[in-house]
Amino acid sequence: MTGRKKLEGQKTLESGYITLEDLAKAGNIPPQEVLERKAVPIIDDIEEIPCTPCYDVCPTHAIIMPTMNDPPKVNWEACTGCTLCAQACPGLAITIVNMSFGKKVLKKDDLALVTIPYELLPIPKRGDKVRVYDRGHGFLCEGEVYSVIKSAKFGTVLINVLVPREVALQAKFIEVVRNA
Amino acid sequence: MSKIVDRRIYEHPILRFERGKRIKILFEGKEIPAFESETIAAALYAAGVIQFNYSSKLMRPRGPFCMIGKCSQCMMKVDGVPHVRTCITPVRDGMTVEREAGHEIDLPEPKHPLTVERVDLNYDVVVVGAGPAGLKAALKASEAGAHVAVLDQSPVAGGQLSKQTHKFFGTKESYAGTRGVDIARMLVSMVKERENIDLFLRTQVIGYFKDTGVLTAYQSEGLGRYRVMTLKARSYVIATGAMERNLVFPGDDLPGVMGAGAAQTLMNIFGIKPADKPLIIGAGNVGVIVAYQAVQAGVDVQAVIDIAPKSAAYLVHSSKIRRMGIPILMRTTIKEAYGKGRVEGAVIYEVDKNFKPIPESEKNIEVDGIWLAVGLSPSVELLELMGASVKLVPELGGYVPLRTYFMETTIPSVFIAGDVSSIEEASTAMMEGVVAGVSAAEKAGLRNDELVRERAEALKWLDTFRSGPHYRRIKEGLTKVIIS
Repeated sequence: MTGRKKLEGQKTLESGYITLEDLAKAGNIPPQEVLERKAVPIIDDIEEIPCTPCYDVCPTHAIIMPTMNDPPKVNWEACTGCTLCAQACPGLAITIVNMSFGKKVLKKDDLALVTIPYELLPIPKRGDKVRVYDRGHGFLCEGEVYSVIKSAKFGTVLINVLVPREVALQAKFIEVVRNA
Repeated sequence: MSKIVDRRIYEHPILRFERGKRIKILFEGKEIPAFESETIAAALYAAGVIQFNYSSKLMRPRGPFCMIGKCSQCMMKVDGVPHVRTCITPVRDGMTVEREAGHEIDLPEPKHPLTVERVDLNYDVVVVGAGPAGLKAALKASEAGAHVAVLDQSPVAGGQLSKQTHKFFGTKESYAGTRGVDIARMLVSMVKERENIDLFLRTQVIGYFKDTGVLTAYQSEGLGRYRVMTLKARSYVIATGAMERNLVFPGDDLPGVMGAGAAQTLMNIFGIKPADKPLIIGAGNVGVIVAYQAVQAGVDVQAVIDIAPKSAAYLVHSSKIRRMGIPILMRTTIKEAYGKGRVEGAVIYEVDKNFKPIPESEKNIEVDGIWLAVGLSPSVELLELMGASVKLVPELGGYVPLRTYFMETTIPSVFIAGDVSSIEEASTAMMEGVVAGVSAAEKAGLRNDELVRERAEALKWLDTFRSGPHYRRIKEGLTKVIIS
């Protein structure tokens, strides 16, 4: 028997570990030009499962899903980045990435805004520091909460977090840093 | 006895627990605080009591396994009455609760005089089981104009739906995007509002007279007070659900080893932490969803392990817990659980592609609970008692009844829906409920063209839903049980 230490999950798709490369291969990462121009959803679903809430809720019909079992694909031009799909997604699989937010709104070129669905406590507030993680719970950076959207209809809270642009596509989970 | 603690959850991101009045029960002479809305098992677990009885020969301590009235591991002596299923028996102020040993037989000395009332009832449709399938069937039959009774042994209607904090997958038709707990609330309130539906909770079916087609059941109105009923209907819908499977390993009977659904019952119905750092066995949808719900309940899941090479869960479910930092270990299983009177740890190991243990791969982990999500078996006992033909179809979860496309069993006018017919999703259970409810009403002489159209839509929906890769096995299994 080995000692008692924290277990580590396997880094395989078979054990639920999904990577950016998996998503890129499935066509779920938009071209750089689109990323620079607008806020877009990054959908961590590349599998045929019977699930349609993102498709149903999209006001501009930007989600392409021929049958209920097809994984969602995004028509990047039609998408307005409205975040409704991220609120509706039962898998909390959708983040919205706004690469140019820092540049356009805050005059901070290196910051992107990532919208992360969140169903845990405590719910952070604007200005709070959060720890930002990637798809395998790898620590990316500390981020700052820019705003919090509470969806009455779906009950999933969306946390808008400011992170360095280079980790925006990887950012997928946050933990609230407790005040010292 | 360990000291009394309070394992209740008072803040939850999704759920609000309405507990009712604060009362007290007496556990082996010690006062234990409880809330009116709780069952005895829930109140004991909340107080940190997890040993409920002892095995009959070796006096090994045992604790509850299923928490939905199906296994017998939660039986205790209550107010002098032996073998009471504490997981479905509500608490009452001043109630006395004692542990018992297996088959210990002593005549009950009930504190309360025994009162039995008999009622004979007639309905168009009787539905057994108030889960997603049964509730939907009842609603559809009532829409056809049927006078309907719904029976469930639990004190809470909604079945497994009430434990689901996550938004459902599927489509608009199956309430996708709505949380299971909210779907349950909606269906139950619709059933309660319908004047032509009678809902009987805490009611267990105990027999069926084949010659007359009469069901017998009893409703418990507190210990010693029973209402015995005979129910005669033109058609029946049996939606008794399923029972969680056990896994055999040394220490599997230690208190703290329970079905993942049992952990859900404690966390999400009663708002009680079943453990602080559990291990989950089984990385299918149930295992990984329960892991997520555990985090919402403030429970630190140590790992989800599974002997299979690939998780059977939807990738969206498994990746959701991976990003939260819960390890999923495939090709990994349990060697043993250990602990003194309760789970204190587990030894796990990896297997190779022939499922042989890999030497040196053993790990000893400290856990205080082991939750089994290793599949479910359809609860077909009542249907067998009624005389329905069942068949062993592993793809559907075990022994399942033969049925027509419209969900009628080999007994005319007896229909099925939900997990009792095949282990699937709550979404498919609801759709099968539509099919069975409409068909049961039709068989009772209440045909409604609009509803018949709805039934056709439901059948089409089921077919499309099951056309994805996750449901290939189900589809194959169904070809073995559908009769004309």
